[in-house]
Amino acid sequence: MIWLRNAMLYDGKTLRDGSWDICIEGSRIAKVIPCEAEKTALKNEGASCLDRDLRGCLVCPGFVDIHAHFRDPGQTWREDIESGSKAAAVGGFTHVVAMPNTDPPVDDPSGVRYVAEKGRQAGGAVVLPAGAVTVGRQGRTITEMIGMAKEGAVLFTDDGSPVLSSKAMRIALLYLKDLNIPLMEHPEEVSLSEGGQMNEGRISALCGLKGIPRSSEIIGVDRAIALCKETKGRLHLTHVSTKEALESIRKAKAEGLNLTCDVTPHHLVFDDEMIVKSGYSPAFKVNPPLRTKDDVEALWEGLKDGTVDAIATDHAPYHVDEKDLTFEEAKFGIASLECAVAVVLDEWDKRGKPFDLSRLLGLFTAGPGGVIGMDRTIKVGGKADITVIDLNREQKVDVRRWKSKARISPYDSLTLKGWPVMTVVAGEIRHAL
Amino acid sequence: MRLKAVVMDDKEMDLTIRRMAHEILEKLGGAQDAVLVGIQRRGVYLSHRIRDVIKSSGYGEMGCGELDITFYRDDLSMMADHPMVHSTSIPFDITGKDVVLVDDVLFTGRTVRAALDALMDMGRPRRVLLAVLVDRGHRELPIHPDVVGRVVPTSRDELVEVYVRELDGRDGISIVAKE
Amino acid sequence: MAWKHRHLVDVDVFSEEDLYTVLEEAVRMEEVMKRPLKKVPALRGKVVANMFFEPSTRTRTSFELAEKFLSADVINWSSSGSSTAKGESLEDTAKTIEAMGVDAVVVRNKQVGTPEYLIKKLNGACVMNAGDGARAHPTQALLDLYTAWRHFGSLRGRKMAIVGDILHSRVARSDIYAFSKVGVQVVVSGPRSLVPLHVFDLAEYEPDVRKAVKGADMVYALRIQRERQEEGLFPSIDEYHNQWGINEEVLSHASKEAVVMHPGPMNRGVEIDSFVADGDRCLVLDQVKSGVAVRMALLFLYLAGGGDR
Repeated sequence: MIWLRNAMLYDGKTLRDGSWDICIEGSRIAKVIPCEAEKTALKNEGASCLDRDLRGCLVCPGFVDIHAHFRDPGQTWREDIESGSKAAAVGGFTHVVAMPNTDPPVDDPSGVRYVAEKGRQAGGAVVLPAGAVTVGRQGRTITEMIGMAKEGAVLFTDDGSPVLSSKAMRIALLYLKDLNIPLMEHPEEVSLSEGGQMNEGRISALCGLKGIPRSSEIIGVDRAIALCKETKGRLHLTHVSTKEALESIRKAKAEGLNLTCDVTPHHLVFDDEMIVKSGYSPAFKVNPPLRTKDDVEALWEGLKDGTVDAIATDHAPYHVDEKDLTFEEAKFGIASLECAVAVVLDEWDKRGKPFDLSRLLGLFTAGPGGVIGMDRTIKVGGKADITVIDLNREQKVDVRRWKSKARISPYDSLTLKGWPVMTVVAGEIRHAL
Repeated sequence: MRLKAVVMDDKEMDLTIRRMAHEILEKLGGAQDAVLVGIQRRGVYLSHRIRDVIKSSGYGEMGCGELDITFYRDDLSMMADHPMVHSTSIPFDITGKDVVLVDDVLFTGRTVRAALDALMDMGRPRRVLLAVLVDRGHRELPIHPDVVGRVVPTSRDELVEVYVRELDGRDGISIVAKE
Repeated sequence: MAWKHRHLVDVDVFSEEDLYTVLEEAVRMEEVMKRPLKKVPALRGKVVANMFFEPSTRTRTSFELAEKFLSADVINWSSSGSSTAKGESLEDTAKTIEAMGVDAVVVRNKQVGTPEYLIKKLNGACVMNAGDGARAHPTQALLDLYTAWRHFGSLRGRKMAIVGDILHSRVARSDIYAFSKVGVQVVVSGPRSLVPLHVFDLAEYEPDVRKAVKGADMVYALRIQRERQEEGLFPSIDEYHNQWGINEEVLSHASKEAVVMHPGPMNRGVEIDSFVADGDRCLVLDQVKSGVAVRMALLFLYLAGGGDR
């Protein structure tokens, strides 16, 4: 039995007034009561109870990250399901979806089963499998999605790449409709982005790096929306980074399409000037690339007005030998699982809290939960998946202490305000400061 | 910087330079096969004046070059600031000639040592004579002047300032305290 | 006067005063090059490593001569036949050289940001950029500036047209910074597919080369690389030559005293006509001569003096 005391409470829908005590029994939430009642109960419960005073902290439903790369199977020098799971728990996530662009890719039911089993026992956050849309992510034949869903796949994506043929994407959208599982699309037009290193814009013109045209993402998004409209399937667009793409999504949602989207923390805090400011540090090299200040503002507007449903990290860990190189030689990707929540909380606070805290928390709970069909509320009898955050805690990011294998991150040495301090998965404390 | 003493005014300086020019002629035994090389910066202006005196005395026009010794300094790597490198122009062959090196102040002797190295890289003079307007002592190398304007004993915390009208608007020599 | 810069990465951080300091120093160096004994001991005892991972005979030779004229000891490291060809990383190569006792590294590499990378990895050796990808080529810009300055005396208020593949040109970028800083109006021209989309942040763009060179005192022709045509960025060498090649007729639109410059090596008949290249308005050989003097000036400014670094 665990008691969480004196905490503020976000129950998944609203931020409740006052302080609360929450009691967890086994893997379920047994009690959710205002602080004043049952003060005396403390003395009665006895030694088998774990009591935590969470004064000043905020209890929330367990955070979910629907987009992280764990490189397992096949590239485990970069990360594996276990290190990723532990990193996610430190980052305040109770559940994280592992992307299927592994080696071999997760493109059949046995592949899904491997991730599902390892993911259940990993010891940190629960790692949920995602399946590839097409075999080998080649864009030709769709995968055995029904079999994979039975094994536990919560979404399908060829991420790392877009679905390489529109025909395959259309077929997939139709096939998935009855499973009510979304197709997560990485929007990119590969013939345009090929060879590009950073956002095509003023900065790329000044520094001689090949630019990735914005039209690459715009075309990717528009194609996906057109297919979504035609098939009336379920589509989720991931790591949206341009204001034009966001505007297309806004319009499509207004027309009633079954469409959701997420943005990454790095696209919310960095713009392409960082590449030059950092002396061409490859820690800032990512796909989709860091965009302009205008895009960053547009994304925050999207968080505010509900166009964006979720924040997903796109945690992309690499070995030091693959990242600590010159900008052009380094691989694309930002590792951030352990500090992503803090990055967003810190930036939200720095910007003067442009929208309600409950809206912000929704981006980590109901938003992503809704994408994969997972309830994210705190209620009596519900599963005890809980994330506790301390909005006032200030801490420096130190990659050397990370559970993740990644050691290069653009956030290293930054002091951030607002951190997850406890992560509870099905009633078990997986992380606590 | 604080003025401590005036060593010479402009008239005295002019007289001294005239005397030096004649002493040089005497030591050379005439101006044939001899050239003047002034060490940047003020040595250059002095060398011009010496040449003019020699010419107006009827001994012909001596070749006159200018030499910047920055590249040959022995203390380049220790300097905090970058020295300004001035022009080096020796538009004649010095091999086989008598070269009269001209500088404003002879102090430790290191500048002259550097000038000698530079000259040696440019040719093989028959001999090199050294003419300085002021010898302030404190030699650190075995360098001796052949023609001296005035010997001015100084202490190490003093500076000898030579002023030339081309650069400083007036002629004169003063001793100032180093601050 | 103190030279404030520790490493030579690009001219964009040079003030106008800095630029002229280099130019004045280069005049002195030209004097050294005219002496019978083309050597001064200014950098005696200093070791400079030329690390050229991209092929380059002209720039490397120019640097090597500059280093030798200043009595520095020189090591040459080129990519083929070296450990890098065997897969040693840039970081390890640079650190190995530094460990052997090198005071400066002159580096050319096709990755943008290589100088910053080396500065981060090395332990104090001075890094001088001999060209990184399409970003910067500061010594080229400085020797171009020096050549033009020596020729015209004063540059403020003049106009320069840079013609060719601006998109992939580090020479163009660095030249635009350097010449703009001293008050030259810079206009670029060439096929639109070979200029950055946001070229306006760099310089004014004029697609018609005759309009671009109108009234220009300096016409700078960039080398067109065959690979760009193979990538499909422009249709054919022939069409490029017809539209943007610098010939007598095009030059007739420029100022009467206009000069033609080129970073070399020239593709005769493509971006420049042989008649123009061999004519007396072409300063290409002056550029080459200036190259050694300017590099000597830079080596002197960065490596001599400065107390203990």
